[in-house]
Amino acid sequence: MQTIQKILLEFEPKVENLLPALKKTSATFGYVSEEDAQKIAGYFSIPQSKVFETASFYDLVKTKKQPQILIQVCSSANCAVNNSFEIIREIENSFKIKAEEISCLGKCGEGPIMIVNGKIYEKVNLSKLRDILEEYL
Amino acid sequence: MKDIKIITEHWGKIDPLKIEDYLGVGGYEALGKFISKMKPEEVVEEIKKSGLCGRGGAGFSTGNKLESVANNPKAEKYFICNLEESEPGTYKDRLIVDNNPHLLLEGIIISALSIGAKRAYIYINGNFEKQKEILERAIEQAKEKKYWGENILGSEYNLEIEIFSGAGAYICGEETALINSIKGNRGEPKYRPPYPTQAGLFGCPTAVNNAETISNIPWIILQGGKEYAKIGAKNSPGTKLFILSGAVKNPGVYEAPTGITVKELIEEYAGGIQKGKEFWFAQIGGACGKLFLEKELDAKLNFSVGTGRDLSVQMGSGSILVVDKSVNIHDLLISWTDFFRRESCGKCVPCREGTFRLWEIAKRFRDNKISDRDKEAVKDILWTLNNTTFCPLGKFSATAFQDAVEKLKIWK
Repeated sequence: MQTIQKILLEFEPKVENLLPALKKTSATFGYVSEEDAQKIAGYFSIPQSKVFETASFYDLVKTKKQPQILIQVCSSANCAVNNSFEIIREIENSFKIKAEEISCLGKCGEGPIMIVNGKIYEKVNLSKLRDILEEYL
Repeated sequence: MKDIKIITEHWGKIDPLKIEDYLGVGGYEALGKFISKMKPEEVVEEIKKSGLCGRGGAGFSTGNKLESVANNPKAEKYFICNLEESEPGTYKDRLIVDNNPHLLLEGIIISALSIGAKRAYIYINGNFEKQKEILERAIEQAKEKKYWGENILGSEYNLEIEIFSGAGAYICGEETALINSIKGNRGEPKYRPPYPTQAGLFGCPTAVNNAETISNIPWIILQGGKEYAKIGAKNSPGTKLFILSGAVKNPGVYEAPTGITVKELIEEYAGGIQKGKEFWFAQIGGACGKLFLEKELDAKLNFSVGTGRDLSVQMGSGSILVVDKSVNIHDLLISWTDFFRRESCGKCVPCREGTFRLWEIAKRFRDNKISDRDKEAVKDILWTLNNTTFCPLGKFSATAFQDAVEKLKIWK
């Protein structure tokens, strides 16, 4: 089983490894808990406040426990002109889940983009949406 | 001139995962030429002659940037390739990696050596998992051939290359924020001066260059800066990758000389407007871009405005979003304002508060609850964003909204 100690040992305790270590921790456990943050702080010899200072800044590092089904939809301009807002409204109305709006992933040619629990779906439309979400519900 | 391809020449014809394919079309010849025949200062001189300027959007002279790092007497120097690319609607750098990663790598090696850096970083967008793998593979193959590492191609040159993966923050495309992020800090911009070319990563002189800019360098070394300067617009020569999207027939990335008009790009490259759709406006340069109405489409795309009598427009990252009349403007306003609200780093008050209030007003506008007081407040907010924010992100966050008010007359 993956533990925070094992993750940390993959990285040399240098400041430029702090962000990669936080990303790995968040990806493995879903978020960086206070307990884990304490261990990270100890390993890098920095205050815990500094760990959260960095962690709370980045989208790919979560500092709070995430919902079981995390739906993220890109609402940046290119996806917006391809009706991503319609998809967000449909998720809220029909599935009663609040989708998180996220920024551009650089997949503008394949929009609208939706991410469910880390898996990326391209060219999502209302009929595809139902099929995708039924896998998770 | 129209057909000249520098970056996209071998796209789709070579296997990006095989270094042999790149070598077969003349790859790494520029590096060989540099190692055997040129001094580092000659490379910088050649790039200065070419007039190449930053393709990330700012358009700063690449030659001057490299020169100021090269001339710095400090021993330790760094070179960073900016592959953060998170401007909405922009995915040119991603395609460079997808189609020809070795071209980028060759450019990185040459530019890093020309400024005397011993270590080069590739700062890649945290969402580009696949591209990171492609680059890792390319880097490995290039090392086997001794294109980087110790004693490159039997010479005295040494270089280490490392990939640093970002973690999803728009502001990290700004060079000082990017450097902060590598150091394990919040990706907030820093006050300049000192510029990164004087005191950047770990306090050492650092050149941060966009991936597309760097990909031009092998061509410049082989063909010469003078040849490059002949392509495209005089004040910002070369070719540029343009990303066309929205209501055009063939959305995609196209390479064209600078100085081309928006109209030509839409009509000749992207096949015109989709059938049954009516052109409304085009947004140029991503979420922070200006809006252009039909009558303004003859504007020439450049990096600097105000040279000559021609109507010219700053192309920013090179993305062109064509919006047709069926698009709901409320959605777009919320998209723009929410994007900047989310991505504002919170360091300075005008941007943190201004982007938040604009978003609130955009929501009230959508819900038909907008008051005259809101409309007055928007003027103040836009002025404040334009004039008082710490970094360009805040300034740009006002651009599209301002144009929506002035050109699209959304209040009526």
